[in-house]
Amino acid sequence: MGQLIADGILTGAVLSLGAIGVTLTLGILRFANFSHSELVTWGGYFALTFIAFAGTSAETFGPLSFGWSFVGAIIIAGIATAGLALLVDALVFSRLRKRRAAEMTLVFASFGVALLLRHIIVLIFGPHAVYYTGTLQFAVEVLPGVRVMPDQILVLVLTLLFVLGLHLTLKFSRLGIAMRASAESPDLARVHGVDVRVVIRWTWAIGGGLAAAAGVFYGLTVQLRPEIGFALLLPLFTAALLGGSGSVYGAVIGGLIIGLSESLSVLIIPTGYKQAVPFLILLLILYLRPRGLFGDVAK
Amino acid sequence: MTTRTWALAATVAIAALATGTTGAQAQDCTIPLGAVFPLTGSNGPIGEPIAETGRWAVEQMNEAGGVQGCEVEYLLRDTQGQSAVGVDAARNLVDVQGVPALLGAISSGVSLPILTSVTAPSEVVQVSCCSSSPSFTELAESGESGGFFFRTLPTSRAQGVVLGNIASQNYDEVSVIYINTDYGVNLAQEFQEAYEAWGGTILESVAYNQEQASYRPEVNSALAAEPDALVLIAFPVDGSTILREWISFGGPQEFVLSNALRSDDVLEAVGAQFLDGALGVDNAQVSGPSVEAFNADYQAAFDADPNRPGIHINYDAAAVTLLAMAAAPEATGPAIRDHIRVVTNPEGEEVYPGVDGFSRALELIEAGEPIRYVGASGPISFDENGDVAGPVLIWTVTNGALAEDRVITVDEVNALFDELAQ
Repeated sequence: MGQLIADGILTGAVLSLGAIGVTLTLGILRFANFSHSELVTWGGYFALTFIAFAGTSAETFGPLSFGWSFVGAIIIAGIATAGLALLVDALVFSRLRKRRAAEMTLVFASFGVALLLRHIIVLIFGPHAVYYTGTLQFAVEVLPGVRVMPDQILVLVLTLLFVLGLHLTLKFSRLGIAMRASAESPDLARVHGVDVRVVIRWTWAIGGGLAAAAGVFYGLTVQLRPEIGFALLLPLFTAALLGGSGSVYGAVIGGLIIGLSESLSVLIIPTGYKQAVPFLILLLILYLRPRGLFGDVAK
Repeated sequence: MTTRTWALAATVAIAALATGTTGAQAQDCTIPLGAVFPLTGSNGPIGEPIAETGRWAVEQMNEAGGVQGCEVEYLLRDTQGQSAVGVDAARNLVDVQGVPALLGAISSGVSLPILTSVTAPSEVVQVSCCSSSPSFTELAESGESGGFFFRTLPTSRAQGVVLGNIASQNYDEVSVIYINTDYGVNLAQEFQEAYEAWGGTILESVAYNQEQASYRPEVNSALAAEPDALVLIAFPVDGSTILREWISFGGPQEFVLSNALRSDDVLEAVGAQFLDGALGVDNAQVSGPSVEAFNADYQAAFDADPNRPGIHINYDAAAVTLLAMAAAPEATGPAIRDHIRVVTNPEGEEVYPGVDGFSRALELIEAGEPIRYVGASGPISFDENGDVAGPVLIWTVTNGALAEDRVITVDEVNALFDELAQ
């Protein structure tokens, strides 16, 4: 039981990071960006590329499986993925926005972008699963009957830091306030002197950076392969919708609910059916609370 | 379209010929053998050579003397890889041409409706080279196919049984993690029956779905019962993740692995040092004089490499059907069905593919002697459901590399089946 809760929280943490980007685009850019999960894949592979060039550090941090080069890899992956998100926006989405394209046009364009991004990965890195390090890490018993890998604890701590950082930014910085204002009403925000283009750029950058973190953490604790983004697509959207579109905290809680419900469901149903559980919860929540757990009434 | 017109014209001509010569001397009579294969469509490129291999077997049989003194006429129809077209073609062959036996089709999705709506109700023998679905075994077990369906493609049962056998020799209690697909569910079930029959205990049996963020819940459920070893039925990518998580969480480094995991990718991803001593099963390459002779003959006849999908097994499908037609007292479905196992009798004298082999087989049949057809894919023996077993390779991981341990031959596999049946 304790082990299942630990597993659920750890899986949920990675989902939360990815879901934040989804929920931001839903709230501020107002469309369902199906290519977001491909940014997760790209983040993971950017880090892989950095490690391939920088080499794996011989010295690792205590019980962790990596050293300084990995820290560099996370930072580079975050920046590069944010750049990729901005590039995609400049090439595709901003042009569609300028032509005042309908929401569905943007959604379908994002499908195309997703396919393109995924297959570029296959083209460059090949279809095989890869790992950051060839060495295997052993789990340690942190509580009686609960084993986790040291890397996973670090992933959890970093996720909490990222979420906390984002929370503080949104709450107190000028940018954060501008972002929230744009989510509330873009026109009203513009009238009050908010440069919506800047807000949009930062939305992509933050979403992309957090997606990269999710990708790197996924690669660290599971493996990297070109389809991870595609496999995460449904869980990420489920998490974002569960939490309520536009709500950062909702996305975090949504991710954790998915991780925990999948993990704990094996207590009562065969493991083959566990993927269905988050969707049952989503159906139930949308039935009782159509705007999601933390969604605004206005939307 | 041209193929079809041509086939139609040919059929009309043959029909005219057949009626025109009724009552003439025995050598001029014909017995039809139907065949339905995808000749066009996406499966066309593999279906065409497979279909031509069947025609070649018929020509060889005719050269050897034919069936009951009659020429066998090979009536080939295109399924286009579609079930509706395949069923129409089969219905025409059975109802209009009156074929007592039918070869084909390739995909289970085409073979299955032909079996349930045409051949089984009309009591016509159907021998498929290439349809792998477990549904055929289920239909045979429930009696719905009436025993009219046979296939020469080895089923996964042999692997499941050998997997159970080697696991029971090494471990008393295991947990099983298997992929939640037709392949995994069947293999896991076959493994379980065999392993438990030989005295093993399965502590936990866990299905997993592909492409998930993590398999920790599955791994931990399997691990919680503290088994001696993990039996893993998976594909390399997910399998590697599961193995890594199993080892990370302190599971015993004792593994029994399915065929798809026999891959250097797995060794590399997991770390060969953790897998040392792991056992696994896979299909063994079939060899032997009958296989080599067939390969040489095929190369000479078609000027092409026989090592393409379905060539060997469809030749054997045709050969077994033709020999059963020769051994049966009359060219009817039930009679042919009852003689398929007569010409693959393990007690009989071995006969090989080719004109000489068929001539010898016909002589022995004439003399009332038992025969055992040992074909292009080695010895064949159909079980009660019309399925065949193939030889199984046992592999292991030694000194950081994959190694072949030994091969369980078809006869040994069948001996294991018999042991289980008791």
